[in-house]
Amino acid sequence: MTDTSVTDTSVTDTRVTDPRPDTGTLTGLLRPHAGSFTALLTLQVIGAVAGLAPLLAVAEVGRTLLAPGPPDHAHAWTAVLAGVTGLLIRLLFTTASSGIGHLLDGQVQLAFRRRLAAHLGRVPIGWLSQRRTGELAKVVGEDVSAVHPFIAHTPGELVSAFVVPLASLIYLFTIDWRLTLITLIPVLLAIALVPLMMTPARQREQRDFDTAMGRIADSAVEFVQGIAVVKAFGGADRTHRTFLTATDTFADTFLRWARGLAPIAAAMQTALAPPFVLLAVLTGGTLLIADGGLPPADLLPFLLLGLGLTAPVAALGHGFDDLQTAWRATGRIRDVLAVDPLPEPARPATAQGHRLHLRNVHFGYDTGRTVLRGIDLTLEPGTTTAIVGPSGSGKSTLVQLLPRFFDPTHGSITLGGTDLRDLGSNQLYRTISFVFQDIRLLRASVTDNIALALPHADHHQVTTAARLANIHDRILRLPRGYDTILDEETGLSRGETQRIAIARALLADTPVLVLDEATAFADPHTEHAVRHALTTSRGDRTIVVIAHRLETITDADTVVLLENGTITEHGTPAELLNQNGRFAAFWRTHRGDDPR
Amino acid sequence: MIRMLLRVLGHHYARPVRRTIALMTATAIAEGLSYALLVPMLHALLTGDTTAARPWLIAFATAVAAYAALRYAADLSGFRVGTTLLRGTYRRLGDHLARLPIGWYAPGRVGEVSLLASRGVLQAMSVLAHVLSPYIAAAVTPLTIVAVMLAYNPPLGLAALLAVPVVAAIQHWTGRATNAADTERHHRDQQATGRVIEYLQTQPVLRAGGRTTERFTLLDDSLRELQHASRRSTLSALPGVLGLTLTVQAILTALLILATHLALGATIGPAEALTLLVLATRCADPLLSLGDIGGQLRGARAELTKLDTLLRTPPLPEPPDPIEPTRHDLEFDSVTFRHGDHTVIDHLTLTLPEGHRLAVVGPSGAGKTTLLHLLARFHDVNTGAIRIGGTDVRAIDTQALMARIAIVFQDVYLFDATIEDNIRLGRPAATTAEVRAAATAARLDEVIERLPDGWATPVGEGGTLLSGGERQRVSIARALLKDAPIVLLDEVTSALDPANEAAVHQGIERLMAGRTVVMVAHRLRTVRNADHIAFLDGGRVAEEGTHDELLRRGGRYAAYWNLSMTPAAPE
Repeated sequence: MTDTSVTDTSVTDTRVTDPRPDTGTLTGLLRPHAGSFTALLTLQVIGAVAGLAPLLAVAEVGRTLLAPGPPDHAHAWTAVLAGVTGLLIRLLFTTASSGIGHLLDGQVQLAFRRRLAAHLGRVPIGWLSQRRTGELAKVVGEDVSAVHPFIAHTPGELVSAFVVPLASLIYLFTIDWRLTLITLIPVLLAIALVPLMMTPARQREQRDFDTAMGRIADSAVEFVQGIAVVKAFGGADRTHRTFLTATDTFADTFLRWARGLAPIAAAMQTALAPPFVLLAVLTGGTLLIADGGLPPADLLPFLLLGLGLTAPVAALGHGFDDLQTAWRATGRIRDVLAVDPLPEPARPATAQGHRLHLRNVHFGYDTGRTVLRGIDLTLEPGTTTAIVGPSGSGKSTLVQLLPRFFDPTHGSITLGGTDLRDLGSNQLYRTISFVFQDIRLLRASVTDNIALALPHADHHQVTTAARLANIHDRILRLPRGYDTILDEETGLSRGETQRIAIARALLADTPVLVLDEATAFADPHTEHAVRHALTTSRGDRTIVVIAHRLETITDADTVVLLENGTITEHGTPAELLNQNGRFAAFWRTHRGDDPR
Repeated sequence: MIRMLLRVLGHHYARPVRRTIALMTATAIAEGLSYALLVPMLHALLTGDTTAARPWLIAFATAVAAYAALRYAADLSGFRVGTTLLRGTYRRLGDHLARLPIGWYAPGRVGEVSLLASRGVLQAMSVLAHVLSPYIAAAVTPLTIVAVMLAYNPPLGLAALLAVPVVAAIQHWTGRATNAADTERHHRDQQATGRVIEYLQTQPVLRAGGRTTERFTLLDDSLRELQHASRRSTLSALPGVLGLTLTVQAILTALLILATHLALGATIGPAEALTLLVLATRCADPLLSLGDIGGQLRGARAELTKLDTLLRTPPLPEPPDPIEPTRHDLEFDSVTFRHGDHTVIDHLTLTLPEGHRLAVVGPSGAGKTTLLHLLARFHDVNTGAIRIGGTDVRAIDTQALMARIAIVFQDVYLFDATIEDNIRLGRPAATTAEVRAAATAARLDEVIERLPDGWATPVGEGGTLLSGGERQRVSIARALLKDAPIVLLDEVTSALDPANEAAVHQGIERLMAGRTVVMVAHRLRTVRNADHIAFLDGGRVAEEGTHDELLRRGGRYAAYWNLSMTPAAPE
């Protein structure tokens, strides 16, 4: 596995045209730690080889004891001393190696997570909003942890699993090549079984296994998320059945996989088991001592070291699963790091004023589905623009282009004459703030939450914004007022959460404010507060609002009627009513229901 | 551990599990005993007497054959039992999940349950297939070898025996020491995941404030804490591993010195000494692997504990003798409901005659939605009672209760199936004509016309292909099709654009006709026509009456009404 990733890097390194150096892959992140990594491997190998010393010592003592004549005491004790020293070296070196491995692992994981977080902080927000947060969090959390065996365990274990048997093998060959070959029989038997584990059928089963596992996770998610609906409609059986079908399929797949694999695995394990190896050595030994002139004392090294020859095959089987998991996890990490960050201008331009101008803007989430077609719109400073239209007409998409959640596929959006793409994102976000769906509070103090976009705001500014958003009194009723750490236990309702988000936006005090009424007006209190706040603090501010309430529409300076991705009517509310077109019709339908 | 495993599996699996464990133990003993035959055999071989060695060789071969057969059987049995258990555990998990109160399903549960259901169960079950066998072998084989040594040479055997309590003590102690550190690590892990999610979800605001990762200290702190915790967890396991290695090596050293000393002094024969040393080295490897296997076992145990906790969460109690209510008037009788320390509903009493409409209004956080949830028994009340037609909801069979109630939620969850399937969920036995009629009544036909495959269009997971208002209409069609006598509406029109709002209103009106209705609403104009209005604050009824009565009273409802009717006046 390590080999593969090394090759991988060298391939990437040759592509000099790639603007981003290959720091995303495992080896890239390991490079700064190359020294520790080498030390770790060296220590592990030395330790493992030193572990052979006591076995050799026993063999040497045996030779002395079995030699004709009185035994050579000094030689025997020297051998014992060497053996004990070997044990000590092994203890020290492997412990040190394992310690370094785990500490290195911690550092590499931290580096990985920081890098992922930094990268996710630069990808387009639209990309983030189309992904499941849970899945991305899994990459940063679990997948990074899954890389652990790559660093802390496997390389050392794999290397020693090959070096130690190799050393033993050479030693045994020098003693008697015939017995060495006989000792290898169990290993060869086990290796002969390996192709049986790799047949296309087995590989297909492995893929089925992965698919079935994924289906379980999906159906569990559906089971849990839909449980309220399902229970409320007495259809609990349905998802329950889906879940059980998924788990049954998985169990079947697993059974098929295991049934195919288990006998081979069991046979392999048995062939590699110590009694079987000893049987081979002893049978060969008996024959060779009787007829082949093998000195009986030479049997000892084979009895002692022969067992170790099975290690590589065993290690391969043992570490293989972990390695595969780690490999897949690395793949997912690499996928995230491969997402292009939102292009940042090399030298950010400055906007002259903050008039927003959309020129022939087209946008589609993917090539087949165009959401916006040729939008031309100017948003003058100090005006409020209400965007109305049937659902699915592209309202949300249109406002999301303003804070660059996505870039238009054609056309341009300029702020004060400068294309949004030429502004640095810092300046962009200091100009535009927004209250959309999915308001999320941080597990931090109320003050920190409100001051998120303006970290250096003083207490007075924070409370003023909170008062404007009509949430100040509620905050004071919290156990520790503005210092209360917000979490699930705080018991803020949805409307209150939204008012904190609005305080956040008001404090940011950006020249452009974009909001979606549906989420901003959770209840009459919030609605009133926001209206009030927006009217009092409007000044020179540009407000763009996806409007649902008639009062918002009539208060607006400009109304834009969006239908099927194009602007069908555009003007002041009075003009549009006089035009007696689609907006007027829209308006009348709605007023029919309105008691006022 | 085994006890917990059996509890999670259910006791009818006890026998195959015990049989597998017995088989694994027998295999380990057979391995140890087969080594006993090495003593006479090596004695013969090392002195060059191959004729004497032959019968022993045959005996050893027989023993190895027996061992191999046992081992093969034990491995297969582990696989087979593990797989059977996998299916059984999934069934138990699925059945249990279906019986848990809906209130248990907090937002954080999605990740937890899906993780547990996919990898957790597998890891817990792998104990039998992969971990238990090496663990038993690593512990039992050396013990058997020590017994063999004791039989052949008591002094050397005794020396080896000394290691047994030390190794056992170290294993026990390591388990404890690492447990605490592992728990902390797990805790930090969850904390860090929470921070990552926050960080991702607040990206827009964070970017606005110029907070890149380096400056978003909340995330970086928790990532660093995670690293520290995992370092601590590594360090806490280190003394155990070191202690184990040290003990095993010390004993090996002692035996080496002792055997050399005895053999050089001719107290024991050289062949005997050497054989015992070979046996001693045979003990060392499995014992050293105990540390690793112990770690794997602890990992599986952690998953097993989670499964056990979940399976032991009490499900919603079902009445032993369910009663079917015959009327559908509603009664909240001094109901109190607490969530943790927080009292959400506080001695609330309300009644509603059959066929009437009750509107629940009040500031956010007043407990309005909870009231609906309690009525549908998402949770059980702490004190007091909720009655339908005079029958306590807890005395009604859950299926029967749900059959009487149609709920339209604020957030509509749709399954990744066609629109038709999603509507049909309301009454699976409905005819196609009935489904279409419900859809038309909910003004869904105009939405369906626009969709590429009409009725057969899949709506995507969670209904993501439809807008909020469109999802709402599906939910109303569902409720219409269900045709239940009690209708619960949770802020259904709070987040709609005018077109959808008009459509949803029409659907709702049809849904409410002739039924007992409880609705939570912010848009007060939907409230005005209710027969009865309750103004909730802090989990209590602050005011109640009809719209006109409450307006005349000039209290909090009146203030609320006036506020919502006032356009924001420029000041």
